[in-house]
Amino acid sequence: MNTLVLSARNLSRNRFRTGLTVLGVVVAMLAFLALRTVIYSWTVAAEVAPKDRLVTRNKVTFIMPLPKHYVERVKQTPGVKATTFANWFGGRDPNNEREMFSTLAVDTNTIFEVYTEMKVPEEQLATWKQDRTGAIVGDVIAKKMGWKLGDKVTLISGIYFAPPDSPWTFTIRGIYAATARSVDRSTFMFHWNYLNDRVPEIARDQAGWLISRVTDPSQTANISQAIDRMFDDRDIQTASQDERSFNASFLASFSAVLKAIDIVSIVILCIMMLVLGNTIAMGVRERTNEYGVLRALGFSRNYLATLVVGESVSAGIVGGVAGVALAYPLIENGIGRWLEENMGMYFPFFRIAPGTALLALAFAVTLSAVAALIPAWRVTQLDVIDALRRVE
Amino acid sequence: MSSEATQPGDIVIRLRGVGKTFHRGSESLRVLHELDLDVQRGAFEALMGPSGSGKSTLLNLIAGLDHPSTGSVEVCGQRVDQLNEGQLAKWRASKIGFVFQTYNLLPVLRAVENVELPLLLTNFSAKQRRERAETALRVVGLSDRLEHYPRQLSGGQEQRVAIARAIVTDPEVIVADEPTGDLDRASADDVLTLLERLTKEMNKTIVMVTHDPVAAERASIIRRLDKGSLK
Repeated sequence: MNTLVLSARNLSRNRFRTGLTVLGVVVAMLAFLALRTVIYSWTVAAEVAPKDRLVTRNKVTFIMPLPKHYVERVKQTPGVKATTFANWFGGRDPNNEREMFSTLAVDTNTIFEVYTEMKVPEEQLATWKQDRTGAIVGDVIAKKMGWKLGDKVTLISGIYFAPPDSPWTFTIRGIYAATARSVDRSTFMFHWNYLNDRVPEIARDQAGWLISRVTDPSQTANISQAIDRMFDDRDIQTASQDERSFNASFLASFSAVLKAIDIVSIVILCIMMLVLGNTIAMGVRERTNEYGVLRALGFSRNYLATLVVGESVSAGIVGGVAGVALAYPLIENGIGRWLEENMGMYFPFFRIAPGTALLALAFAVTLSAVAALIPAWRVTQLDVIDALRRVE
Repeated sequence: MSSEATQPGDIVIRLRGVGKTFHRGSESLRVLHELDLDVQRGAFEALMGPSGSGKSTLLNLIAGLDHPSTGSVEVCGQRVDQLNEGQLAKWRASKIGFVFQTYNLLPVLRAVENVELPLLLTNFSAKQRRERAETALRVVGLSDRLEHYPRQLSGGQEQRVAIARAIVTDPEVIVADEPTGDLDRASADDVLTLLERLTKEMNKTIVMVTHDPVAAERASIIRRLDKGSLK
């Protein structure tokens, strides 16, 4: 028997209450880890982007297009290996409008030269290229929507309207798989020409953004500058950056949301601390007489404070370890897998970062100690004779 | 359990002119009046008196749980009234054993662990602590209840565990506040017999507060306290 055992044993006095408190810590840990993983996975999507890919967009904003003829100029820039382009279509299935997936009008000849981590069987690719209304979709969205090769799919777009008698109808010609976690496996891609032919004259020959692959990743900054310089004297100027920076700047527009999630995750831990502090305070109040006995036996005020803090930290450790242990199967194999498959464009890699688990444990231990400070202080203020007289 | 180094007949508790006044707001309540008291080593003394007579206050002063308002308290050769709180705690841990009316065992600890508790303040190893706790429980006749929790023991057995806890550090003085107050007569007799043995066989000095005349009769000296004065 030692001080640690005594602290831990005190937790077993009211097992129901301790159980609920530890459960509260576990739930707080799970919520904290889930929220931190949202932030992590959101930012990691930007970080895992290839370094040898450049994105060129309208300098004003990425929602404004570029003239399509810029593509040829960019292609000829020294150091550029391949260039493709895409337009955001904003499509959705009218029969399943809640299902979100990216829909892009892409250049069939170059898209897979630039996005080499998307793999499509050769025969499917060839068939797709020959079918003007053909589409290639990610394996995850195909499975979810039940799309098979040859299926006719009608989409509606919030950007490009189609008359009721001539809707946006596509034929599934290919299904791509991904060789990298950073790839969204729920994208719907179709012929840019199909889109271009059906939009009004004024909106034709516009590319949403350009994507280039460079031969030397260390030169992406120089090549970006070279591309932008080419269009400096044009009415429509460009802003080029590597895909990682592009993603990061895209994420920056969500910084308020990420900050809010960050704050909420901390608030949850603070609530956990208050719950734990309340439990410890109740226990201390009920055991006033025992603290009097211990003081009479010769235990110092500091020793009793250590007992109280030790009790709280024990609960924090048990709850923290259990929370982290449960988080891996629940978050990584449960929520994480679902998010990766269903919201892959936002969460391509929903996994708990090792640092986050350690941070959660550190918070559990630290905050449980902080939670016990007031009850511990109150124990040190007890008068031994008054405490001995106290009977609960 | 070893006996004391000094001879029986030494004065182990010496109070001179001890008074105690409690202050509550503007009111003062004088509980003890200029008490003088000598208790010999190895004595088993009973303190009797009506409620509010100052018995427990006197016991607290002897045990070093409180300071007198006036006078001096010398226990085991130490001027207790001159020690600060931290020094008193250390002194109590080595010199005083406590026995309470309601046993006051920790319910989450087994009998042997309860007895071991005061030894956490010593430098003994875990093995030595355990051995000493088992020895103390053997002295009180509970060597077959080492692993029992307090809730698994009778009232008499719990009080005997409490007595084992009181003697495990080999203190010179044991203070007992109504040690038989919660016990039936048979159990009370067992506890009193055990206290008698501690004085006779181990030369412990026992000061016992009690309301029970039968219990007091077992003591070697009975002192009566009335309105803060010894009669």
